[in-house]
Amino acid sequence: MRSRKYSPLLLELLAICLAMLILIPFFMIFINSFKDIRESALFGLSLPSNWVFSNYEEVFNQDNLLRGFKNSFLLSALVVVSVNFFASMAAFVIQRRGGKFLQGVYLAFIMGLIVPVSIIPTIRLMDLLHIKGSYLSIIMYYTAVLLPFAVFLLVGFIKSVPRELDEAAILEGCGYFRLYFKIILPLISTVLVTVSIVVIVSVWNDFFGPFYLVTDSTKWTIVLQVFNFVTLYSTNWGVVFAFMIVVITPVLIIYLFLQRYIIDGLTAGSVKG
Amino acid sequence: MERSKYPLYFSFPAVIVFLLFFITPTIIGIYYSFTDWNINADAIKFIGLENYKELFNEPRLKQAFINTLIFAAAVTLLQNAVGLALALLLNEKLKLRNLLRMIFFMPYVIAPLVIGYIFRAIYHPEHGIVNQFFGMLGIDFMVQDWLNDPRFALFTVIMTDIWRVAGFSMVVYLAGLQFIPKDLTESASIDGANYWTRFKHVVFPLLAPAFTVNVLLAMIGSMKVFEIVMVLTEGGPGYTTEVFYTYIRNTFSSGEMGYATAINMLLFVLVTLVGIPVLLAMKKREVEM
Repeated sequence: MRSRKYSPLLLELLAICLAMLILIPFFMIFINSFKDIRESALFGLSLPSNWVFSNYEEVFNQDNLLRGFKNSFLLSALVVVSVNFFASMAAFVIQRRGGKFLQGVYLAFIMGLIVPVSIIPTIRLMDLLHIKGSYLSIIMYYTAVLLPFAVFLLVGFIKSVPRELDEAAILEGCGYFRLYFKIILPLISTVLVTVSIVVIVSVWNDFFGPFYLVTDSTKWTIVLQVFNFVTLYSTNWGVVFAFMIVVITPVLIIYLFLQRYIIDGLTAGSVKG
Repeated sequence: MERSKYPLYFSFPAVIVFLLFFITPTIIGIYYSFTDWNINADAIKFIGLENYKELFNEPRLKQAFINTLIFAAAVTLLQNAVGLALALLLNEKLKLRNLLRMIFFMPYVIAPLVIGYIFRAIYHPEHGIVNQFFGMLGIDFMVQDWLNDPRFALFTVIMTDIWRVAGFSMVVYLAGLQFIPKDLTESASIDGANYWTRFKHVVFPLLAPAFTVNVLLAMIGSMKVFEIVMVLTEGGPGYTTEVFYTYIRNTFSSGEMGYATAINMLLFVLVTLVGIPVLLAMKKREVEM
């Protein structure tokens, strides 16, 4: 009984045209990463007149590349763990216990969701704490920045976990730690996946934090390495594009495999929260 | 079960980290914004309102303020418009639906810094594919120096960010659309409601939660824009694309820490003033619906 003004084929064509707007920029850097110094500076969409694979050789000869990946991986992993644990424990008692103190805490986190960090005083603080430039300082920075969002999402979700479960467990002689680990954590695991995805995307892609907080180049993340590389090689776009391809390919492959979970996770998280 | 039996100390790890690494810097930032803290000076001296006085006499701050607001308003509006349109389009029964959804979300998983560099090449005045494309079509008035012409630079930066984030809004709207019962739209269409009427009276009101999330995230995120602007224009030409964070970066690089902190405080105030009423208004609206 549905009357349609537009045929599905027309809509499909429209959607494909729009998708090209997303794909062409990626194609542009891909194709130019195989061109020599002169041709790559033209940023064209044509195939290379001769394929230059040495651009990639040059990129893989950079020690910074592997180290950048390693640093990004390490930071993302540690921040995921700390944010998930700290936020879920806090969200659990904020939702269940309530009271003036925890209401205040919740409000502070909501504020933290909105307001920007004061980055220069943060550098100063790290200096005063004698952890300036260390992995610990950047992990703490990210944890503090990402906690508000995680707490916000988790408090909303824990509401849907019935309190009767807690009561039954406690009556059975279960302590609060076991209640949290054995019952609450498994029940909120879908939201923890959402939190993890957002944390990983934020930490992995961030430039702002390490740009200000990490001075030691051996601790630079992969995004900082891109920044550094472009500054050094900006005369040879072929090599720069090859570097970018090497940096974004793993991200895109992981996205390809996990996109179902990523999109579903964000879907479940965003509207519930 | 008694609420008070839940252990308060469960909240301590989160509270301590947040207090120490978020709230403390904000508070000491207030102090430093009243000092002449400079990387080249030996001591930090309290100078009262000097930084703020200087800032308010600085046309560059006014530019950064206006540009940040224009950027935030335009991105919030367009990101939601494009995101919603894409969601409605990809909610139809298309063959390539899943693949297309995946493609539109793709830019969101790439670092904004990298996207900035890609688009710097795309907007190149002579060789960039944008101008090549318009040239090919023969619409010469569209061939412009997108990033270096003061008339277009801010607009270009805005469009680039839309390219990056529209897919995110799309996903959130798609999520909202899933919660709308099929029989609601179907019974409306049997009653003779066309697509637009159905959208206005059935779909849109039920999208309120997704709308709230999207508008809030877009507003808050866009006021803190940094990498895209830094890479595309560095705040130029002149100060036509200067935003708070590029301004902070420049004063930071020249070592004026107290002054840079004062700029950060103003951003803090601005985001809070804009963010809180929006948060309250939208929460209220959601309940009413």
